[in-house]
Amino acid sequence: MNRSLWTALRALAITVVCLIIAMPVVWMIAAAFKTNVQVTDPSVGLIFSPTLENFRNVLADGEIARSLGNSALVGLISTVLSALIAVPAAWAVGRFRMHSTGSLVLVARIVPAISLLVPWYYLFAQLGLVGSYTVLVLSHMFVSVPLILWIMIGFFEGLPIELEEAGRVDGLSAFGAFRRIALPLAAPGTATASLLAFIFSWNNFMFALILSDENTKTMPVTLFNFISYASTDWGGLMAAATLMTVPVLLAAVFGQKYLVAGLTAGATKG
Amino acid sequence: MSGTHLNRRAFGRLLAAGAGAAALAACGGSSTPGRNTPLRISAINHVWSQAVQKRLPEFEDSIGRRVSMQLLTADQLSSSYNVKLNASANDIDVMMVRALQEQLLFARNGWLTDLSDLVADQEFDWADFQDAPRQRSITRDKVLSVPVVTERPALYYRKDLVDGPPATLDALREEAFRLTTADRFGYVGRGQRSGAVTQWSSFLYSFGGDFTTADGGSGIGSPEAVAAYRFYGELLDRAGPPGATNMSLEQAMPIFAQGKAAFYIDADAIYSNFLDPAISTVQEQVGFAPFPAGPAGSKPHNIPSWSVGINQFSMLKDEAWQFIQWVSGPQMVTELQAAGIPGARSSAWEDPSTLTAFPADLAEAMRINAENGIGHDRPEVIQVGRARDIVGRPLVAGIIGQDVAPVAAEAHAEFADFLVRDNRQQEF
Repeated sequence: MNRSLWTALRALAITVVCLIIAMPVVWMIAAAFKTNVQVTDPSVGLIFSPTLENFRNVLADGEIARSLGNSALVGLISTVLSALIAVPAAWAVGRFRMHSTGSLVLVARIVPAISLLVPWYYLFAQLGLVGSYTVLVLSHMFVSVPLILWIMIGFFEGLPIELEEAGRVDGLSAFGAFRRIALPLAAPGTATASLLAFIFSWNNFMFALILSDENTKTMPVTLFNFISYASTDWGGLMAAATLMTVPVLLAAVFGQKYLVAGLTAGATKG
Repeated sequence: MSGTHLNRRAFGRLLAAGAGAAALAACGGSSTPGRNTPLRISAINHVWSQAVQKRLPEFEDSIGRRVSMQLLTADQLSSSYNVKLNASANDIDVMMVRALQEQLLFARNGWLTDLSDLVADQEFDWADFQDAPRQRSITRDKVLSVPVVTERPALYYRKDLVDGPPATLDALREEAFRLTTADRFGYVGRGQRSGAVTQWSSFLYSFGGDFTTADGGSGIGSPEAVAAYRFYGELLDRAGPPGATNMSLEQAMPIFAQGKAAFYIDADAIYSNFLDPAISTVQEQVGFAPFPAGPAGSKPHNIPSWSVGINQFSMLKDEAWQFIQWVSGPQMVTELQAAGIPGARSSAWEDPSTLTAFPADLAEAMRINAENGIGHDRPEVIQVGRARDIVGRPLVAGIIGQDVAPVAAEAHAEFADFLVRDNRQQEF
């Protein structure tokens, strides 16, 4: 096949796929600027007179700001703590061939979350922790730790062991070799894994629904305030969903720049 | 290894001791809640709950305790109960429940407190509650919930398109077919397999059928049920929007609100959507009418869509009952009904001032539907979701233009088996 035709077809395929993937996001953002009548009217597409009313209502609601703050707090703390545990663990699993231990940790990702909630709820209720940030952070870590661990095992296994051996020859302890050599080289991987763990935490609905209370509930639960028994405030819902998506989108965009820089730096060193 | 380091066995012992201490702490006896412990209410995000929430300070003052009200969607509420009450949670005191959807299951699990002695209080006047909703609050001779919101179907129609509302189902069909044009649907309604069952129930009763027979067997294979399936299917197939089988309340309601349909039958509780200029383009044209009569007359459902009960594990049962007395007492029901939220007390319905908040034709339609009402809108079983899936299958067949009879016969056989199994689970 002609090379330019092939390139054109490939560009067309990529455009179509991108449009399909972006469509829900575009619809969400467009709906956030529409009235409820316009949202439910299929004849109103992307050409309409926009309104900021939905954002005004959402921002005037103190509960949205509090929930966004709760989501950020739980997401950041659970991600940082998970990374502190999972990154050294991944190095140990990778370097000392502890794959059965690694598989055991993976069970946490295999078990459906809903089946964990009854025993968790019972245990945390007895400990008086239900409704606290602690319980949300712990529950999110239960999923984030295996996620980071398994992404990082591959990263550490991919690093040449000779680099750490050289450090050991120069007098570093095993942990010193991890901290001073392996960890900096695995920074792009740590960033990727942490970003994915943060996104999981940011979007998690089920754990927050059961384990949070009015003061600690996170944004995915609060979004449902816009859905009542007989009606849905689509404009408000989409404005709140847009506000919820923006921080993660920014984190992904900036994270990606950092990742590319980190990967390039690693390649140059290699 | 030096003495200061833990060996593997010592570490194991330490871990076991820690786990044991945690378990002991976890199994410690629960204490009586202090004055700072709030009364916790789990409720549906509904206009009723929002209206009650605004009035909470008045109740808090009367009991001297803070009240925390959590509003969730119906599915979230259900998931929350299933997880928390499985773990004998005591952080829910008052539970808002759908008596017809989950009361039987909750009763079987022992999650709802028996209110029989409490409602017997003369002042509470239990007999004042409408018969159909009151009967649905009783499971195994025990009153387990008190109805607070009732619901019937209403016929929403476009006054600018017809001279008056159709009084019979045949007239509705004829008009709907006549008014179907390229840019307007003659009729819109729920068509989703499970979601449509509750609204279809009024068609079923008005054709002379029911979900079950008098001896507890399947009723969906009867000639009346097949006729109701065929009627509803044909109505949506020939006069309804494309993709009707994916439509529940959330999808069907906006089509009528956008002025794209001539008739719509759904819960009367959603009427305000058509009068709200932020959502509706038909606020001037919409009319309200009672459910049209079928071959067996007009037999709409009249159900307690939402009720309140007390968690069996609550530590604040006295305060929880005080809350129920407050929200379901004659004064509050009258007040809320006057604000447009239909309750279950006959005294409120008999008071003309409570109906002034509704458009006159809707108030009249609600009164007539309540008089003719049948107290259930879905099969009365433990596994309601599964039952609705089975019952809804011939509905979908009718809507997509298939022959209903063989699908109904198949569903009838499956439903009969299901009922035998479900009845066994009801032995508690």
